[in-house]
Amino acid sequence: MKALSGHGGEVRVFAQYDRDFALETDVVVVGSGPGGAVVAKEVAEAGRRVVLIEEGPPFTPSDFELDSAVSMSRTMRESGLRTTFGTVMPTMQAICLGGGSLVNSAICVRPPDFVLDEWCERHQLQQTSRADLDPHFDAVAAFLGIAPTPEDVQGPRNLLFRTGCEALGIGSEPIPRNVRGCRGSGECFTGCRSRAKQSMDVSYVPAAVNKGAQVLTSARVEAVRSDGRRATGVEGRIVTPFTGRPGHRFRVDADAVVLAAGCMATPVLLHKSGNLANRSGQVGENLRFHPGVAITGFFDERVDPGFGATQGYQSLDFLPEGFKLETLWAPPGVLAVRMPGTGLDLKARLAQAPHAAIFDAIASCNRSTGRVRPRRRSLDPRLLWRLHPEDVPILSRALYVLAEIFFAAGAHTLIPGVQGIPPELRSLEEAQVLRKHAFKPSDFVTGGNHAFCTTRMHGDPAQGVVDELGRCHDMENLYISDTGVFPQCPSVNPMYTAMALAHRTAQVVAQLD
Amino acid sequence: MLGWLLLAAVLGYALIRIFSGYPRPPASTRVLAPREVAFLEAAALATFPPGGAIPASGSEADLPAYTDRWLQVLHPRMRWLMRSLFFLLEHATLFFPAPRPRGFRRFSSLAPQQQAAVLEGWRTSRLFPRRIVFESLRAILTMGYFSHPPVLRQLGLAPREIETPVCEADLLYPPVGCGPEAIAYGLSDLTPPSDGTPLQRDAPVHPAYAGSGS
Repeated sequence: MKALSGHGGEVRVFAQYDRDFALETDVVVVGSGPGGAVVAKEVAEAGRRVVLIEEGPPFTPSDFELDSAVSMSRTMRESGLRTTFGTVMPTMQAICLGGGSLVNSAICVRPPDFVLDEWCERHQLQQTSRADLDPHFDAVAAFLGIAPTPEDVQGPRNLLFRTGCEALGIGSEPIPRNVRGCRGSGECFTGCRSRAKQSMDVSYVPAAVNKGAQVLTSARVEAVRSDGRRATGVEGRIVTPFTGRPGHRFRVDADAVVLAAGCMATPVLLHKSGNLANRSGQVGENLRFHPGVAITGFFDERVDPGFGATQGYQSLDFLPEGFKLETLWAPPGVLAVRMPGTGLDLKARLAQAPHAAIFDAIASCNRSTGRVRPRRRSLDPRLLWRLHPEDVPILSRALYVLAEIFFAAGAHTLIPGVQGIPPELRSLEEAQVLRKHAFKPSDFVTGGNHAFCTTRMHGDPAQGVVDELGRCHDMENLYISDTGVFPQCPSVNPMYTAMALAHRTAQVVAQLD
Repeated sequence: MLGWLLLAAVLGYALIRIFSGYPRPPASTRVLAPREVAFLEAAALATFPPGGAIPASGSEADLPAYTDRWLQVLHPRMRWLMRSLFFLLEHATLFFPAPRPRGFRRFSSLAPQQQAAVLEGWRTSRLFPRRIVFESLRAILTMGYFSHPPVLRQLGLAPREIETPVCEADLLYPPVGCGPEAIAYGLSDLTPPSDGTPLQRDAPVHPAYAGSGS
């Protein structure tokens, strides 16, 4: 990327706003995560005037907090404590420039062919097959330098996964990530101090600015303005970083509006804008997640889990069964919450952390659905979601396979973190309980940070909010470019798919007269 | 009349049992009330007693102070939820007693063995909401314990010093809360990007987590 050279783009931060203001532009993009940032850059590069609006502030390395709880409080909506109701599950969405890409583990995996084929078949899509999307995946990969995690930064924690998989004949591979020069510090979730992770704030956003985009940070869009079937722009308030205290008002008039505020925020915004683009009744419906489960395993040898890529190895072998396997690291305080017990027992387990590794699974729970609704006096969503009983076996099966991999790799003790079974498993025989026990949804400790489908694409305007190019069925010039447009779970980490779809949507937006 | 007097007496007694008699905390807090500090102090010691595989106790890790700092940055609705959780755990034993003797006391007034038993009861409850309450408390205490530098150093999990390259994004963004005049870098300050040299185990510990002794 060549040095910034004053092409008219700029970034505005909270300290600069001293009055109400209005702007006029060609395209306004709401949200600077993987969907919005890609659209902003591509459309700016096509010569259009772009205003990119982000509710959170930009984070510099000096702003990164090494303490996980404080970090989540600053980078995540509702301080990282948002949960679904129905089946209670934590779910985190970012509020910072770059969106989730600032604080995720940079995994970039293309969904399998069978997933996209199913999307096309069930949702009447004509041009969303793997072949249709590969050029867009390729373009994103070339820009970000997506590549498999190098061997020398895997660390023992990730390589033990490979060892276990090889012993069992399970396929595994280094995870492709949007990282250049990873040093294996394992700090993806609190901010990459190596500046290796190519999150949107260090990649697509500066590129958009270089092409003249204006970026408004600490700016919360509160409504989409419209006139009949045309969106005319957005309006909102400047908000103080971290507290969200509203201040000056702003308005951006535009020829096209792209909503990329995220799977939760975009439908809330549409509801709050007079139930916009919702003749289908699908806005906020069909909420789906990839619930995640994890096992901590302990080895005789020292693993030093703090060293190595945050998530360096994966297995895609079980995607047809509904789950993907990965290695995992997170701030110690976050991981330790899965440990059972209190008192000296808990301390004894925690003291074994240098000998621990964590493997996780994300489950494609398409039968488990919910909805997003706006709260009365807030833009925070109310989330209702239930883990369907028929999806429970996916989680238990995934845990059992993880247990197999752990023992094959040489682990002596596993902590599955599941209610209703022994807190520790010391052999594959004991792990059979994961196959045989009749679990309830509330037995699992899950997290659901991959969320989708709340403004889903569908060929039939009566069954979806957008078409497969991201255009709202009901509006002439309103687009959506976040994971809410996915029609079903992608089975793999969603960021790369969101960016590929955004790359395609941007071509359409850029051509708008 | 007698009935109203009796009701007032009962209410007064209940309020005294619930709210009064807490010691002044040793250090000032910005969010936590004295009763919350007392509860967290007790819960911290029950969850992380002194000794054992990791010497530092929950008290040495000053978990009430950590919790107070965390609550200061918390979303208002979540702050209210957390404080409600502390209130519930502190006073539940007034109605659902701890093991004898004198189990009908506030959590922070119980003996350590009673406190441990109460927490175990929440942890192993067959009722999902009770387990969630316990898990929430333990999550807060655990995150605080794992922010304590001696704990992290003992486990080899303390963050390391990392030289941070200056990239083009650093020419665009000031630190949060500052204006563009605080951007410390110009074009001439750009450095080569990370070369991918793996972080070594003997890399110096980050200054915020380094310290003398263990």
